[in-house]
Amino acid sequence: MEILARQKIISDLLPKKFGWKGKIWVAVLILICMIGIFAYIRQLSSGLIVTSMRDYASWGIYISNFVFFVAISLVGSLITAVLRLTNVHWSTPLTRIAEIIAVSAITFASIIIIVDMGRPDRFYNLFLHGRLQSPIIWDVIVITTYFFISLLLLYFPLLPDFNIMLQAKKEAGNRFNKMYAFLGSFWKNTPKQKKISRRSINILSITIIPVAFAIHTVTSWLFATTYRPGWDSTNFGAYFISGAFLVGAGAVLVAMYVFRRAYELEKYITIDNFDRMGKIVVMLALVYLYFNVNEFLVPAFKMKKTDADHLLGLFTGEYSGVFWFAISTSMFLPILILINRKGRKPFPAFIAGTLVVVGSWFKRYLIVTPTLLHPFLPMHDVPESYRHYFPSWEEWAIAAGSLAGMVLIITIFARIFPIIPIQETIEETEKHEKV
Amino acid sequence: MRKFKYTVLTIVVSTFLTGIAICQETKNNLILGLGYFNDNNQMQYLKANTKTKVSGKFTQVPGVSLSFYISSVSPGNLLGKATTDDKGMAFILIPPAARDEWNKSPKQSFLVVSDSSKLYDAVTSSIDLVKARIRIDTAEDKKIIATLYELKDTVWVPVKGVDMRVAIKRLDGDLNVSEAPTYTTDSLGMISADFKKDGLPGDTAGNLILIAKVEDNDTYGNLSTEKTVPWGKVSKYVSNYNQRSLYGRRGWSPLWLEWMAYTIIAGVWVVLLYLFMQIRKLKQLGAQV
Repeated sequence: MEILARQKIISDLLPKKFGWKGKIWVAVLILICMIGIFAYIRQLSSGLIVTSMRDYASWGIYISNFVFFVAISLVGSLITAVLRLTNVHWSTPLTRIAEIIAVSAITFASIIIIVDMGRPDRFYNLFLHGRLQSPIIWDVIVITTYFFISLLLLYFPLLPDFNIMLQAKKEAGNRFNKMYAFLGSFWKNTPKQKKISRRSINILSITIIPVAFAIHTVTSWLFATTYRPGWDSTNFGAYFISGAFLVGAGAVLVAMYVFRRAYELEKYITIDNFDRMGKIVVMLALVYLYFNVNEFLVPAFKMKKTDADHLLGLFTGEYSGVFWFAISTSMFLPILILINRKGRKPFPAFIAGTLVVVGSWFKRYLIVTPTLLHPFLPMHDVPESYRHYFPSWEEWAIAAGSLAGMVLIITIFARIFPIIPIQETIEETEKHEKV
Repeated sequence: MRKFKYTVLTIVVSTFLTGIAICQETKNNLILGLGYFNDNNQMQYLKANTKTKVSGKFTQVPGVSLSFYISSVSPGNLLGKATTDDKGMAFILIPPAARDEWNKSPKQSFLVVSDSSKLYDAVTSSIDLVKARIRIDTAEDKKIIATLYELKDTVWVPVKGVDMRVAIKRLDGDLNVSEAPTYTTDSLGMISADFKKDGLPGDTAGNLILIAKVEDNDTYGNLSTEKTVPWGKVSKYVSNYNQRSLYGRRGWSPLWLEWMAYTIIAGVWVVLLYLFMQIRKLKQLGAQV
């Protein structure tokens, strides 16, 4: 990294007002969210009948979205915790991006699961009358816990930056100063405070790893503890975790590129960052590919009747288009792009990251729906609409609204708080100078 | 021109007649079967089945209206009407009103007539049978003795040379008491079977129901008689409703699971609480500066 003066770093990394592009971006996101809210109001008033979910496909794109959000949230533990604990410093500019992705994703994971409920007014019963034996309760517990850990992991490294932002009041503008003061005016950068903060971040980094593994393993168990073709697998926990790491890393690639361009952060999010992150994505894609081979080859080798129906539906049947699209975009193409040094330049890496994210969303759809439409007992005496599933416009609108909501949180966060840790960047630059 | 008119007229008439002929020919043959059943020397009923040949295969015919008669097809002898179900079957209980006709003779005829419809012509089927009954007894060493009697004039006499099955009544069928599928009655009309299914679960008192049957016999129809014997194993229903298990209800999870889950949850949340306390501590330190 080019050696930068303290003031220059602060001035570069302080939150900036939206330009016209930023305002349009926020307006579009709000519009998508509003359409989603409108669709949800329709669903609330008419019931789940406005969706295409019926007796067999009782989980649709809401649950696919839920799994996607949970998956993408795992990136917080990868970038922040794993790389921090292994003393990897190149990831410092990416930690906050990863953490805000984690917080916003886990928030919308919680929201979308309530959206999937026919009677959301009864949600509190999950807490009052939950069965401890049910993976659904484990998921509720672990998601809540992960949310708080991610929030703390976002908050602690922000404390020194509040101090910096309060000192640079004029530069940053007074609009958010009250909030900064409320959140971090007590931070005086004393050695004792620094020690406590450092220790707390280390504790959080250690705690978040098992919780992050738990959250995605438990989500996989929602499926794997059910005896159905496509879900009846002992491989599911590892399969989900590897996929989650991949989509999270892909999302970081996308966010890195967008923030780098939007906030002119070329000196901070460097080509080297893309290169290293690209290598991580290749490794994660290969690991996920390995688990996919396990997941499909073993049942395909045996071809039990019900598994055969499910697998042939994916490989050559009704879902083959989506299946091969998801496999190509989430694994093959990103590997092909990022395996080259040239492919790990910012723009190709951004494309690869986008492919991973889009492909991974469809992969979650394929995990949820085709299995539900291949029950062990044949479907008898049911209307034709029960045999297929294609989301209604309300479902698309709500799903798109939730995705836009997640991006909106990240966008607004970057408007209010520094998206790259200022204090940590200064400290690393000073260390670099000394060396 | 006239020749042409006659030609057209001939074609129209012949087409019309051919159509009628085809319509008449499309009626399929209905095969009607009738069976007589006497359960436990008490409940008597008739069962009819309907079949037809479609593309060379026999197929059951549902929805056929049938009229059942005793002795002869006459309104006074009508036992009842029934319609065949999805399996092409229909049955009626022989009503008490037919008692006088039944008591007239040791032999009896039953008839069933199907209603004529667009698809099938009316068909009649009948059975002639000799009234019979089975008696079932048990002896020492779990021996089962069943005797078949037929009615001759006014006297019940044993019948020789009829195949009989002895079994234990189970929920979804009958289980033979020994390896032999059937036994043939001797000159005293008796068969003797050894019970070889020790350890078979019975009811809460260990009771089993033995059943002796004559099945699809041309002379006697279908007869069966039951007897309850205490030869089974006592079955006690043990409710697991109040047992802790992974499939138990709320609040009844296994203790090991509760211990593990609550320990993990408490462990993680104690760490989180500690961290919240650290924020408080940071505030206090900041206030001191």
